[in-house]
Amino acid sequence: MPNKETYLGDVQDVNGTTVSITLSKQSLTGFVYINGQGYRVGQIGSFIRIPVGFNDLFGIISQVGASAIPKNQVDNDTSGNRWMTIQLIGEGQRNGTFQRGLSQYPTIGDEVHLVSENELKNIYGQPDKPYFVKVGHISNADSIPALIDINKLVTRHSAVVGTTGSGKSTTVSSIINALSDNNKYPSARIIMLDLHGEYGNALKNKANIYKINADKSPSSIEKDLYIPFWALNFDELCEISFGDFNNEKDKNIILERVQKLKNNTLIKYPKKGASIDTLSVDSPIPFDIHNLWHELFIETFGTYYKKNAGKPIDNLAYERDDSNVEMKGDPKKGIPPVFRNVKDDKDDNEKINYLPGSLNIGKQLTLLGSKLRIPRYDFIFKPNDWSVENDGKIKSDLDTLLKDWIGSDKPVTILDLSGVPPDILQTTIGALLRILYEALFWARNLSQGGRHRPLLIVMEEAHIYLNDDQKGMASTVVKRIVKEGRKYGIGAMIVSQRPSEINSTILSQCGTFFALRLTNSTDRSHITSALSDNLDGLTGMLPILRTGEAIILGEAVKLPMRTFIEPPPKNARPDSQDPIVFDEVGVEESQNPGGWGISMEINPNYEELIETWRSQNPKIDKIK
Amino acid sequence: MIRTSVTSSNVASVGYDYESSTLEIEFNNGSVYQYFDVNERVYEELLAASSVGGYLASNIKGIYRYSKV
Repeated sequence: MPNKETYLGDVQDVNGTTVSITLSKQSLTGFVYINGQGYRVGQIGSFIRIPVGFNDLFGIISQVGASAIPKNQVDNDTSGNRWMTIQLIGEGQRNGTFQRGLSQYPTIGDEVHLVSENELKNIYGQPDKPYFVKVGHISNADSIPALIDINKLVTRHSAVVGTTGSGKSTTVSSIINALSDNNKYPSARIIMLDLHGEYGNALKNKANIYKINADKSPSSIEKDLYIPFWALNFDELCEISFGDFNNEKDKNIILERVQKLKNNTLIKYPKKGASIDTLSVDSPIPFDIHNLWHELFIETFGTYYKKNAGKPIDNLAYERDDSNVEMKGDPKKGIPPVFRNVKDDKDDNEKINYLPGSLNIGKQLTLLGSKLRIPRYDFIFKPNDWSVENDGKIKSDLDTLLKDWIGSDKPVTILDLSGVPPDILQTTIGALLRILYEALFWARNLSQGGRHRPLLIVMEEAHIYLNDDQKGMASTVVKRIVKEGRKYGIGAMIVSQRPSEINSTILSQCGTFFALRLTNSTDRSHITSALSDNLDGLTGMLPILRTGEAIILGEAVKLPMRTFIEPPPKNARPDSQDPIVFDEVGVEESQNPGGWGISMEINPNYEELIETWRSQNPKIDKIK
Repeated sequence: MIRTSVTSSNVASVGYDYESSTLEIEFNNGSVYQYFDVNERVYEELLAASSVGGYLASNIKGIYRYSKV
């Protein structure tokens, strides 16, 4: 039975899943031909097969040469440096089916064989199964497609990591392109958090794009992104609007007021599912934050005429403007009222005093006031159709918002967060993800719920908002998603160039890794430690991967595979390609209008340059 | 903007808006650029040129300002 062509050597030492073998003298050449195909012997990362009875055990070569000699054999070694270390990974039946995990171990003297391309095909390839998508092909075997099991990919979470310029965004758009194939997966549901607006162009045929200050020109398909403040829970709301509180008491005062307002709304506009008894301050019930702010402002800064009859609150001492009108402010516009100064002169009968029991939350209210005035925060505080009137009336409820996001006719939704102010980015992402999570979690029995129509959330540039440094809202929610999302059909795909900055709990819950070139050793060790397999040999290759090449390992693939990711068609690539400094082809052939090699225009227009900055939109007005 | 297909090693199609004097170029790789304040005559010469890529290189690139669309 031993196939002499593929014979490599014999098992000498078995220690857990690590097997040491000696190469036989017969396979000295280092290069063998099997069925006309040439194979190099002893390449790190290549596969070996150990026949044991009717089964084959499969492993990956992780070490070759002198250092692979077992420690206690160093002194009495007779076979020179011809040792290899293997990591066992799985088992195959003779009929070709392969599965991860081992039911038995090899033993001393078992033969070790090279794995030929045909055998690899048996292990990897099942292209006819519709739940596998092809993302590329195996690096050293063009004919073998790299297939990913979408069941495992979506629900068991995944991570795409790689140094900048290693092909991360291309990998992501390639995967998303494959997953959003309308014929194969008519109900695919993917949401992407796009921090730099890279993917809009690449996926414009398949995606709805939501963006703050969307481009309204007819050629654009962007729509406005709104995250109504009243959908946030109390912690998120505080974080975004008030900032930190001096003490629990102040926070409780706000809490009580918000609860009361939500209560009032519910009495006036009952909503199915919500009742006064179960209402909490975290319930997504509309209330008027502008009025609340205005009232609290009066109670904090207000002064009143002491001598007048009636309650102090009815005798507020407003300052008057030039046309002698009381400056009461405007809640909707975020304009605060102006009060007269405290006055207690002996001869003057007009006494002005601070309101009794005034609140001590001036700093918080000033902060919220400025946010209500600044248009950049309008996507939260003046969310158009989801804006709230004085009594809690709203034009559209959260159902339309969620329907836009995850219930539209297109498989992909891109939430372009490039316009979110950096100070609230973490919290905004946290809130957004929590809204999605809660909605799909509670709707788990419904046809549009997470269990029956799972959602894949792609988180771009995750190191920005999923780091350990701060106790960020985003990390907390994503931790919950990666721990419990599997059961409710919410999958995460974490994309980052700096995995070492990502919270290690989050990374360790990712079942599948797409590891592109990673040069930084801290990042690499972070990935190695997060991997469930003991595959040092493979992760050792990370710094020398070519651009667009990835090691895919984990649950969604049968075996770890070194893969060439197939880039999406040229017009569907993300806007993250390296800029051309000097085009390799001549200017007449070049498909690039710029670069250092072309002379500069005579009258460079820097007004337009500033226009884009001011409007926070790379598209100038002139473009129709 | 409506673009006319051209035969060239790098340009796929060319369009022009008379109102705003904007020339639109689509390269073979699918990327589209608009050149601003381009004379009508330049557009017509570009269309008539024996080598579109060559005319673009010598008379438009590096002379007019542009934006990616």
